[in-house]
Amino acid sequence: MSEKSKKANFIIIDDSQLDCFIAEKLIKHSGFDKNMRSFLVATEALDYIKGIKYSQLDEPTIIVLDLLMPVMSGVEFVEEFEKLPFSIRNKYLIVAFTSSMNKKDMSRIRSYKSVKYIFDKPINAQVLLPLIDECNSLI
Amino acid sequence: MPEKIKILYIDDELNNLVGFKASFRLDYNVLVAENTAEALDILTKHSDIRIIFCDQRMPDKTGVEFFEEIRNWFPHPIRILITGYTDVEAVISAINRGHIFRYVKKPWADADIISAIDEGYKFYTAHSLLAIKNEELQKAYNELDKFAYSVSHDIRGPLSGIMGAIKVVKHLDDVNEIKEMLGLMENSVKKLDAFIISMHDYYTIQRGELRIKDIDLKQVIEDIKDIHQTSITSNKVELIVNISQEETFWCDELTLKLVLNNLVSNAIKYQKQDNGNKFIELNIEVAKGQATIYVKDNGIGIPENYLSEIFNLFFRASTQDAGSGFGLYNVKDALLKLNGGIKVSSVLGEGAVFKVTIPNK
Repeated sequence: MSEKSKKANFIIIDDSQLDCFIAEKLIKHSGFDKNMRSFLVATEALDYIKGIKYSQLDEPTIIVLDLLMPVMSGVEFVEEFEKLPFSIRNKYLIVAFTSSMNKKDMSRIRSYKSVKYIFDKPINAQVLLPLIDECNSLI
Repeated sequence: MPEKIKILYIDDELNNLVGFKASFRLDYNVLVAENTAEALDILTKHSDIRIIFCDQRMPDKTGVEFFEEIRNWFPHPIRILITGYTDVEAVISAINRGHIFRYVKKPWADADIISAIDEGYKFYTAHSLLAIKNEELQKAYNELDKFAYSVSHDIRGPLSGIMGAIKVVKHLDDVNEIKEMLGLMENSVKKLDAFIISMHDYYTIQRGELRIKDIDLKQVIEDIKDIHQTSITSNKVELIVNISQEETFWCDELTLKLVLNNLVSNAIKYQKQDNGNKFIELNIEVAKGQATIYVKDNGIGIPENYLSEIFNLFFRASTQDAGSGFGLYNVKDALLKLNGGIKVSSVLGEGAVFKVTIPNK
């Protein structure tokens, strides 16, 4: 696989502005990003995903998802996401990042098929690289 | 004088009932039933029956059968069997299966009945006390659970943010980018600090003692203004205060300040960013018997479906200005301690009014 193909789109969902910013910087710095969007509110991210035309979905997207957020939590986001048609869901890879050490949270989010990985915060560059490979193999 | 213990006695022989009642009605509140149907009726009407005596041999069913039957519907009263025959097998098996607390031989001696009542009532009291303690413990435990849960998010959250930011900053060369990052890190530190202060408030309310004194409202308002001056100025919010005081206001100053602080701080936090005319109105009326405080703002308001939840620990109704979910819980708790109350009304997008009432005595 050439270096150039090792890229993906990113959607970052986190109610903490700092955590969004860190994720953006890290991803930009790693040079793996094609297109990147950040959302402080999960409902807005969901609307954004629903609004993308299928024809524009030729590229895989990694969703970096925080779990504990007010109004719509990460779990609620995933629940709504799983209602989307498979052809759309198939283009996304959800990775959850959390500072929670609660086992219930962890096992609950693990029970959703769309969530591929759960990592402890903060996000770091080492975990990103394998994700990009996996994401590209989706297509 | 303590209330008499309520006892139910079931026997198909009328003479026994009359004799029982005659012997014990002075010391206990005795109810009697001639058959099990009547007994059920009495048990349904008197939920405060503590001890049930029942004859073993009755025409429709045995005492053991009756106890087995009512055990699920009326689990609390202590069940004692009275039997004239030596139905040893039935009694032993009933006691072993836990249906019956003890049995008394017929004809009874008064002393046997009295000791059975005493022992049974002691057992009942210990059991119900245990149930109450258990409930209290469960509540404390649930709160602790919530607490541990939130601590990992609200304390580790900002910390992991700062940690991540430090890693990123190490790779940055652009001074402006570094400065932007430092600003965000500062916010995280502030958030953590605010959380720790709220946590301290929480424990002060839970464990602290009230010190009721004559409140100087003007001074209290000045203190509140001082605390929030920076955010009032930087957010361009107008704070209007009206005090109408006819009576001396007796209250605990720290608790009062905690309530006002949180409400004013929320009113500043949850303003509409693009509103050119942001205001907070603080109306305080001190009358005989009661003080009423209104905190009104023209901010973002609260969605109707969240109104009943905003006073819950760690509940957050908005993503605007990440709160900890501590503030209003502390306010409600503090008011509970003052025997006061709080009500909220809000129109989404137009603002909210919090009405606080505190007894003034």
